[in-house]
Amino acid sequence: MKRIRSASAWKRTAGAVMALGLIAGACSSDDGGDGGDAGGGGGDSVVSDDTTADAPDETTADAPDDTVEVVQSSGGRLASVQSADVVNCGGNDGLAGFGIIDADGNFSGFDIDFCKVIAAAVLGDAEKVNITPLVAAQRFEALKGGEIDVLIRNTTWTASRDGAEKANFLQTTFFDGQGFMVRADSGINTLADMANTTVCVLTGTTTLLNLNAVLGDQGIPFTALEFEDNAELQPAFVAEQCEVWTSDASQLASFAEGLDVETSILPDIISKEPLGPVVADGDTEWAQVVNWAVMATIQAEEFGITSENIDSFNDSGDSGIRRFLGLPIDDGDGNEIIAEVGLGLPTDFASNIIRQVGNYGEIYERNLAPLSLSRGPNALWTDGGLMYVPPFR
Amino acid sequence: MFERILRLAIVLAVLGALYIAFWRLRGAARRNADAPPPWRDTRILVIAAQVAAIGLIWSAADYLWANFRARTEAIGLELNFDFLDQPSGISIADSPLNPNAAIRQALLTGVKNTFLIIIVGIPLAVILGTLLGVARLSTNWLLSKIATVYVEFFRNIPVLLVIVGTWTIILNAFPPERESWLPFGGSFIFNNKRFAGPSIEGGDNFGAFQVVVVIALLVAAAVWIWRSRIFDRTGHPHHRVLYALGSFVAITGVAYLVLSRPFEVTTPEVVDRVYIGGLKMIMPYAAVMIGLVLYTASHIAEIVRGSILSVPKGQVEAGNALALTGFQRYRFVVLPQAFRVAFPPLINQFLNFTKNSSLAFAVGFAEITGVIQNLFGQSRPAPQLLFILMITYLTFSLVLSAIGNLINKRLQIVGR
Repeated sequence: MKRIRSASAWKRTAGAVMALGLIAGACSSDDGGDGGDAGGGGGDSVVSDDTTADAPDETTADAPDDTVEVVQSSGGRLASVQSADVVNCGGNDGLAGFGIIDADGNFSGFDIDFCKVIAAAVLGDAEKVNITPLVAAQRFEALKGGEIDVLIRNTTWTASRDGAEKANFLQTTFFDGQGFMVRADSGINTLADMANTTVCVLTGTTTLLNLNAVLGDQGIPFTALEFEDNAELQPAFVAEQCEVWTSDASQLASFAEGLDVETSILPDIISKEPLGPVVADGDTEWAQVVNWAVMATIQAEEFGITSENIDSFNDSGDSGIRRFLGLPIDDGDGNEIIAEVGLGLPTDFASNIIRQVGNYGEIYERNLAPLSLSRGPNALWTDGGLMYVPPFR
Repeated sequence: MFERILRLAIVLAVLGALYIAFWRLRGAARRNADAPPPWRDTRILVIAAQVAAIGLIWSAADYLWANFRARTEAIGLELNFDFLDQPSGISIADSPLNPNAAIRQALLTGVKNTFLIIIVGIPLAVILGTLLGVARLSTNWLLSKIATVYVEFFRNIPVLLVIVGTWTIILNAFPPERESWLPFGGSFIFNNKRFAGPSIEGGDNFGAFQVVVVIALLVAAAVWIWRSRIFDRTGHPHHRVLYALGSFVAITGVAYLVLSRPFEVTTPEVVDRVYIGGLKMIMPYAAVMIGLVLYTASHIAEIVRGSILSVPKGQVEAGNALALTGFQRYRFVVLPQAFRVAFPPLINQFLNFTKNSSLAFAVGFAEITGVIQNLFGQSRPAPQLLFILMITYLTFSLVLSAIGNLINKRLQIVGR
């Protein structure tokens, strides 16, 4: 008897749970339905997780609340970098010349050097950097989430990234463009020579769209062989399944280093790919600090100041150079004044950058000359290139 | 708001109906001592369980859909198919598809390429698989061991590895285009970019000739049926292959002469990287095809072997008693019975073959999955594209199994 009663109690409970389940189901769908109808209320509760993830100052979550307020009002990324005494950079770890990691875990490359430039400028020590390797799909999320202070990872400046991705692109450090790589003995020297060739390209990229658009406009027939991954594309190029490999010119130069065959890159560049440092939207002070630190390398090259000869400029009579290096200037009455530009950087930041990392030309030579990448548009404006920075005064 | 009230009303109505039914049955049970109480009455328990199951599935699906809608609205993704009319911007190797053509055309090209893999690959896999399955049962020690090693090798490695492996071997074993291998006096071209062979090219009366070919096929079929009936009626040798083929060749041959060379055989040629004449295929297609056939054949071989073993031993002994040769025994006694057993699992292999063809994009052959992966990268809406992809494979699979079931029905022994 007792057994039967307990069984019926179980069934009643089960029935109640089922009924609750049905009601819960109906209610949960009400939430979703509301999101559709009213736009605001119900929908928000579903996506609330993402709203917090989008907030630009999540790194400071461990700091007290009032610090967060400071971050929102007047920057504060600079202050948090200074107090942490390290610059967190998002970088690449697999692109020779730009950002690559060696067997000992040390990063090197063009983009990595610019991270060191920022550390030298802000903290006075180029080695106070912490590089986080990121894949392309993660990079903007890491920046928006505040895991990194600055993103320097061969990232192309585009309108949608500036807008929808809430990123703030600064001084372009490398003007890249889509290029074509062929075997040195292929006899292909111009775009027109590419008629009827097979072109290897990664699937689902803007590279493919540019290829179709430009060669299509010029009426050059070709076959596009689309690969999912460079792991298959590279052997296909080596075995001459395709005569041409198209990608960003700098990447092609980087890949060419790893090949056993002699290659050459065509002079034709069919797209604009400006690469440079990126910070998150909403912190102008930090953006300016990063921007002027990067631009200092270009200004130094324009002045002809290198890490080798910087000491010889201590007695320079050029007031522009003296101001740039943070050297005292005579005010005419015998008083020595050190110019302060009010960026929140030490007055000798440019000097630190040049001593510890070098000027733009040195950084370029060190990292990209081994890839036989010529300066091209990345030459100084005085040499007919695009590297032009505002005056340091 | 209206939707919310409706949902709540449905749930309340269902609960109310259950509640009333429960108490009425309980009352009936009390009045009638023989009737079980409602919580032990299978009639009501069955209904309650089904309502609960439907309710749970429905609410889970509804919850997921609501979440999905909230996300897509938050990022401003429109769930319509208008994008299908926009230019795709992509191109597909050896396809006349224009990059400015609409996305729907790119998708159709992808479907066509998937179809090209299936239609050629499945028959090849069946032939190779049957040969291997028979070889495994051969009394020839070497033959059966070779077949065993083959089957064990291919069915125990992932199909993606087989495809990429085949591709890599072809890539490196065949010469580059400028040093193409030209066997049979240049009738064929083999290099690691494309394979090409002779083909026919239509002349002036090609249209008329095609009509004649269709008529000739119908006549040959009629002759086949006629000879089979004679055999069934009288027992005279039917020779239906000979008769049917003969009538086909005679009709088309006369037509060829009357229509004054309606077609010509062309051999391929490469001039400045352009393939002129003949029939060509890009190497990734060949690699995917060979890889899938090699892999699927190993599975089919096991099905064939198992179904041959399922034929009662007495049948073979009866064949021997009639002094049938080994080939005759297989052709007329064992295989017809084995095939009946083998067919249902074979349909499964055909479906697997179809689905595995989606791995072709790994080696650069743009079938439907490859095309859709490409469109993902061009910021085209993923939910709709995934939906199209699922519908495509579903259609392929349903059509294949419908055909398979039709054949299967005809194969089954009637009566008994």
